[in-house]
Amino acid sequence: MLSFPTPSVYQSSKCFVTYGVMGHLDPNQPPTKSKPWSTVAGQDFINRVELIISQETFEVVQKLVKERAAPEYKRVVMSLHDILLGAFFAEHIKKGDVMMLSEGRKGIDNVFTLRNGMLTMFLDKEAYERAGLVGKPDGVKGKRGLKPRWVVEIDLTSPSMVPGKKGFDRLIYASKNAFGTPVTWLFCNLSSTVPNPDPIAPHAPTRCTSEPSVLQNIDAMLPTLKPPIDAIGPEGREKLEYFSTELYEWLSLVRLQSPRVQVGDQIDPYLCRYQVPGDGQQGKICKVTWQGFLAPSWCRQTLLDLVAGLPSKAWFSFSTTTFSKGMAGDNSQVSLFRPQGASGEYVMWEIKSHE
Amino acid sequence: MESTSQTSSKSQPIAAVLLSRAHDPEETKRILTEKIQQRPLFLTPSSPPPSDARAARRREREKKRLSRKKALKPKPLSANERRKLGLYDVPRSGQKYVLFEPLHQLWLGYIREILGNEIHTGGEGAASKLTSADFHGAEVEVVRSGCVSRVGLKGIVIKDSRFTFEVVTKKNQRKLVPKEGTVFRVEVPLATVTATAMGEEGRSDDNKQQQQQQTEAEQPKMIFEVHGEQFQFRSADRANKKFRSHFSNIL
Repeated sequence: MLSFPTPSVYQSSKCFVTYGVMGHLDPNQPPTKSKPWSTVAGQDFINRVELIISQETFEVVQKLVKERAAPEYKRVVMSLHDILLGAFFAEHIKKGDVMMLSEGRKGIDNVFTLRNGMLTMFLDKEAYERAGLVGKPDGVKGKRGLKPRWVVEIDLTSPSMVPGKKGFDRLIYASKNAFGTPVTWLFCNLSSTVPNPDPIAPHAPTRCTSEPSVLQNIDAMLPTLKPPIDAIGPEGREKLEYFSTELYEWLSLVRLQSPRVQVGDQIDPYLCRYQVPGDGQQGKICKVTWQGFLAPSWCRQTLLDLVAGLPSKAWFSFSTTTFSKGMAGDNSQVSLFRPQGASGEYVMWEIKSHE
Repeated sequence: MESTSQTSSKSQPIAAVLLSRAHDPEETKRILTEKIQQRPLFLTPSSPPPSDARAARRREREKKRLSRKKALKPKPLSANERRKLGLYDVPRSGQKYVLFEPLHQLWLGYIREILGNEIHTGGEGAASKLTSADFHGAEVEVVRSGCVSRVGLKGIVIKDSRFTFEVVTKKNQRKLVPKEGTVFRVEVPLATVTATAMGEEGRSDDNKQQQQQQTEAEQPKMIFEVHGEQFQFRSADRANKKFRSHFSNIL
């Protein structure tokens, strides 16, 4: 099957469920520090955002989506050396706010990420030893004899990261000697201003936009869209667990566009024993997907706009998925569901992979 | 009476006289010639080869023990004595990089001479010649190391001991670099055109300089990397050592 060895301490992804109340939303001071907003904004690079709503509320969302600019990102081939020199470094990294992710899988290749001015390099043993930068061991602990991997974290916005200083010169030396080959990066400019002339232009970036794709009028069986009343408190723990598991399963099937949730599905119970929980209600639902290299701040803003814009009795589900991490390809996810009829409440699922 | 004894000793050696007392004259003559006059004189005690393997081993052991004793006879210096004598000290005035540059040029000439045509082809032949070469005066750069702070050190080797390289950097600093877990890179530029060309006397001076500058910039170099882990021998000991390929546990 797979040729690389399994980590000796393997932990599967874990799911944390939160059932809470959203605070009052003040349009002038959007909330940042409380849950669920902090969880959404606390993820790193987001790959996909999916929104599931009923057909009736879709018209509102359509307007929202049309008025909103689709997030843009660029795909560019550069080497780490190009990033650390010249106008790119001065404009985008020192002054601006960018997000960059290089190609590769974290447990296998050498991956570089740049976020909030922090350059993180996930290296294998040879690259680390050739680079000469100080880092920490990465990955499964307690694995003696096999090659460990290393993480090097450097804050590029600090005042000591200036050409001419020793630390920065070591970084330049490493980027010239150990990481000389150009790799493909995904680049996202988070600040609202674009420096002119754009220092990324000489590297011929490919501009990509994440236009939302919409799937309308899915005829589906709906589960109970409201958590049971006594699901609060320590006694209701089991009920909450059942409710949240069933609802998450249904939401995932809708996201996968599975035929099992559609009305009139006749599948042999020998092949699939799934049945939509609840009392067999039917309805039309819509799914809106944004896919690309998205910033968590954009996701949080979109969620805020949705909560503010949608009618208060309507239910919706908003989920963000990050890029895959690690050898097993797990990614982490945050899904949020606002129940029908309860405008301030939410159920949130956080799927965290091991690394 | 004396004359007869004198004549008798002149005519017959004393051994013959004694033998004739025990053997008949033919036997006496035979024994005298074979075993006394033409007696084989052994030059070394071990030839003819010993008939017994055990005796041979014993002889080897004895020889080794004696030679080891002899080697320690003028006892090697202890670390304290070495430090007091200051044999390996380099005075501040002597730590200048410019002082060692001529040595480096000499070393480059020496290496080019050793390698001959192998400098163009590289590979196994060049490797075997380089392992027995002396590295004093080479410009080494640490390219990969288990201790990451050593990476990037570059300088001319002034002392090649068993476990370390002592190096003088461009900033006139003397650095001691352990060989363990470290990979060193050495670059040998091929000889310049103006240096090796014999019949180029007709050129004018500035033309020669320009050519030299040009060739320096595009000069092809032979670059090789030395794995310090496998190189932990004194330069004198390395001359006759046969290197076998080992699987390195750090790589």
